[in-house]
Amino acid sequence: MKRNRAFSVLYMFLITLFFGTVVSIVYGLNQDRIETNDRIKLEGIILKVLNISVPPGVEGQGVLELFKNRVKTVQLESGPVYIGKSDHGAGTVGYAFQLSGPGFWGPIHGMMGLGPDLREVLGVAFYKHSETPGLGGRISESWFTEQFKGKMLPSSPAPDEVFFRLRPPEAVKGANEVDAVTGATGTSKAVERLINASIHRVLPQLAELSGKRIGSK
Amino acid sequence: MGHIGTRKIMIKGLWEENPVFRQILGICSALAVTNLMLNTLIMGVSLIFVTSLSCVTVSILRKVTPSRIRMMVQTLIIASYVIIVDILLKAYLPDISEALGAYVGLIITNCIIMGRCEAFARNNPPWPSFIDGIASGLGYALVLLAVAFVRELLGFGTVFGYPVTPSDMTRWTIMVMPPGAFFMLAVVIWIVRAAGSKSDKKEGGAETAAR
Repeated sequence: MKRNRAFSVLYMFLITLFFGTVVSIVYGLNQDRIETNDRIKLEGIILKVLNISVPPGVEGQGVLELFKNRVKTVQLESGPVYIGKSDHGAGTVGYAFQLSGPGFWGPIHGMMGLGPDLREVLGVAFYKHSETPGLGGRISESWFTEQFKGKMLPSSPAPDEVFFRLRPPEAVKGANEVDAVTGATGTSKAVERLINASIHRVLPQLAELSGKRIGSK
Repeated sequence: MGHIGTRKIMIKGLWEENPVFRQILGICSALAVTNLMLNTLIMGVSLIFVTSLSCVTVSILRKVTPSRIRMMVQTLIIASYVIIVDILLKAYLPDISEALGAYVGLIITNCIIMGRCEAFARNNPPWPSFIDGIASGLGYALVLLAVAFVRELLGFGTVFGYPVTPSDMTRWTIMVMPPGAFFMLAVVIWIVRAAGSKSDKKEGGAETAAR
């Protein structure tokens, strides 16, 4: 009995060691690939919301290359800000920052690009969330995110300004109202909340940053 | 232990002891991932991979594993394969990995795999265990694809993302929401049982009920 018990412990230990090693090796072999995939995805999204078009046929490493040439990353208190530079040199085409907050099922992460005037929305994307596939998950589809493109933020927002409202698709829309996702009221409300909160969080610092940049030139 | 033919094992996994509509196993994921066919397909393939390899491994180790800790060992083996699938999807199919999200990790908790390891692989040689894993996985995948076909068609009007119904057809949003999954799964089980009730009576009902 005693021997038996010792054998069980030893056996469990060895088999855990073996499978742990195998999984680690598989991960080790693919780690670079996974990290590169994540970077390609994130940088592709930043380029997209900054309205910097990726030429057709360019993917993978090409995206990383384009990002390196056209985007400068600055760390602010509220998180990283990605400054899009124009094709040939000094001009700024826009600023991208993260949209994040709690969703219906888990945290939602997105990205928003604003023009150099910090008013025009260049693009919006949601890239990480745990909303229901096919329902709340549709916030990452282009019909939803494209709605924000070209909308204008007010030039001097009130402290409790509501920048965007999500309304039922059949409702008549005001200037800063967009279609919510049908069948996903919880997600839509969460997205509305986190977009407005994120803009409030970032905008003052962004204004300071862009002011400095303009001032220094 | 009598020798069981490959054909017999396949028929059992696909029909006679189909994990979904006979044993009512793996229902959580059957409800969760079946609103889009592509996600369902990848989920099915992943499950076939994990089930078959877990069964082989459990079978190879069946004579040395102390029976008191066999559950722990099985969970460890299953979890290892699932994490490997997760890593490979992230490295080679990032888009699909994205779409499936947490459900890949949740394959670990799929009762079908543990069920086959316990019921079959623990007492049988590696090759039949492998076939058994494939058969059960296939049985699961095919039922899920059937459910997903109806749900995606009625809910989104598409099949594998390609639009097939006229665009003015009203979408049945409820079909892609959780209630639609319950309805469809119940209907599938009903149809299959009704169709198979004659042969059941002849064999004296070989059904096993579980979670």
